[in-house]
Amino acid sequence: MNATFAIAGATFGEAVRKRILMVILLVALLIILISPAFEPFAAGRGARTLIISFGFGVIQLAGTFIAIIMCTGMIPTEIERRTIYTILSKPVQRYQFVLGKFFGAVGTLAFMYLMMGIVFLIASRLALGSFDPQIVKGLIMFFFQSSLLAAVVLFFSTFVSPLVNYFLSGGVFLMGNLLSSFLETIQRNPDVTPITRIPVQLLTVILPNFANFNVQNPIINPEQVLTDEVAYLVQTIAYAIVYMALLIVASMLIFNQREM
Amino acid sequence: MSDLAIKTVNLTKRYSGLWSKQPVDAVKNLNLEVHRGEIFGFLGPNGAGKTTTIKVLLGIIYPTDGEAYVLGKPAGDPKNHHKISYLPENPYFYDYMTGREILTFYARLFGIAEPQRSKRVNELLERVGLSRAADQPLRTYSKGMQQRIGLAQCLLNDPELLILDEPTAGLDPIAHIDIRDMILDLRNQGKTLFISSHQLSDVERVCDRVAILNRGVMVQLGRIEELLAGGHVELIADKVPDNAVEPIKQLGGKVSLHDGRLIVEQPDNGTVDRVIDIVRSAGGHIISVKPYRRTLEDLFVETIQGGKNA
Ligand SMILES: Nc1ncnc2c1ncn2[C@@H]1O[C@H](COP(=O)(O)OP(=O)(O)O)[C@@H](O)[C@H]1O
Ligand SMILES: [Mg+2]
Repeated sequence: MNATFAIAGATFGEAVRKRILMVILLVALLIILISPAFEPFAAGRGARTLIISFGFGVIQLAGTFIAIIMCTGMIPTEIERRTIYTILSKPVQRYQFVLGKFFGAVGTLAFMYLMMGIVFLIASRLALGSFDPQIVKGLIMFFFQSSLLAAVVLFFSTFVSPLVNYFLSGGVFLMGNLLSSFLETIQRNPDVTPITRIPVQLLTVILPNFANFNVQNPIINPEQVLTDEVAYLVQTIAYAIVYMALLIVASMLIFNQREM
Repeated sequence: MSDLAIKTVNLTKRYSGLWSKQPVDAVKNLNLEVHRGEIFGFLGPNGAGKTTTIKVLLGIIYPTDGEAYVLGKPAGDPKNHHKISYLPENPYFYDYMTGREILTFYARLFGIAEPQRSKRVNELLERVGLSRAADQPLRTYSKGMQQRIGLAQCLLNDPELLILDEPTAGLDPIAHIDIRDMILDLRNQGKTLFISSHQLSDVERVCDRVAILNRGVMVQLGRIEELLAGGHVELIADKVPDNAVEPIKQLGGKVSLHDGRLIVEQPDNGTVDRVIDIVRSAGGHIISVKPYRRTLEDLFVETIQGGKNA
């Protein structure tokens, strides 16, 4: 376990030294900070919705880019620079390496979300005059969304090149965001034949459902009435954890067979 | 088997070529036995398959065929790696870390806990002469300094077996000597060393046994003295009359005489006295007697070129 955390720590250290990730973080922080300036464009209750959904939009976007950019190269770079040779010559199991990389990625995301969350809370407090607990819930959900995405990217990185991975994981993220509402639409339409419906259904089940985490915007899921909010949050987080665990185990199995 | 530090049985590694490329057997039917406490030189020109063999021994890649054992266990079992250390061919370390950070990182991989960890790291920084540069990032280190950090990380776990891939390649002469001294020091501590190299003079002085690999095939194996047996002695004399040449020729060896100057290459040391006697009784004058030992370099070139012609 010590080795796993040592690798996670090194991964975190390397990620926060990456200029591109820091630029994304700083730009996001800056936009969140100045977002209360948009307040005059909307009156009354509209101001709250605007500032909060705008802030969430920025945070989600930053989290998505950070997860993809950070994780595509994480394992391939170690192989390309052969830094992995020295690591595997130590008493380190290959699964510990993969797990360490994943923990390092999640740790980095946690750090990024913490930074963005603090700034978001401060900015919204200044603009709205009150502390909104919904923000914390939203941050947690988006953190899990980005972590799940990180696991997807890491999984692909064990067998495809970084460039291919950008498209693959980007595609999976988009599909995972849209498929469930698309499925609902075609299920309501009697003209859609099972030949079209079943593959969509299958894809919706197999691909990670990223839409569940999008709690900021009830406009996207108008019919989704949250009767028990806590149960919904717990379920969604549990879903993320189970899905991540499956992806990481699959990554370990593939990585175990790999030649460096 | 427990007296063997490394054993391979018909080890073969084939890289299947991509697209148009032919598959290559980087290592072919290699049978190696390295004894504990031995310094073993694993020699061969670039591309011979040395690094490939080492990667199999460490479990970085898997054999296509055959078997490999390290310290009596199948190669690549990380549980075994507490007793092994490895110096890569080039400093493949995180170059954004400082010397101290990288050693601390590897020490954690070895499971060395505080407070021993800091103590060990400081000791080793001291030992390889990097205490002053300890807090600079590795990317500012010279090649020699990076190699010394490499050696330091090899010593973190007080290993039984050290696998050094080209430890002296690309170093200046002083760094060369440093590394050689360290290797000798480790030998005195009873460690087993498996050293790959394409530079022979280094190895000649420190290795007990060597194997020479060429294009994935082992073409020589033996103790250095045995492999290098069969040197010659060169004798030069002056004012030697022509009639002395015949009896000297009868003793064997290469003989040439020009204007009274005699040059004799005697394969066997025992007959040199006789040659001297003949020269002196004929009124000749001995100028020099010089033994020429065969070098590993000679052997290497002979073996590799022989292999090419075959
Ligand atoms: N990953 C690889 N894929 C394909 N061929 C390789 C790979 N690694 C090494 N080779 C080939 O295997 C042979 C042996 O290489 P290597 O073991 O690195 O030699 P050495 O260390 O003795 O210089 C070379 O012909 C090299 O081109
Ligand atoms: Mg090599």
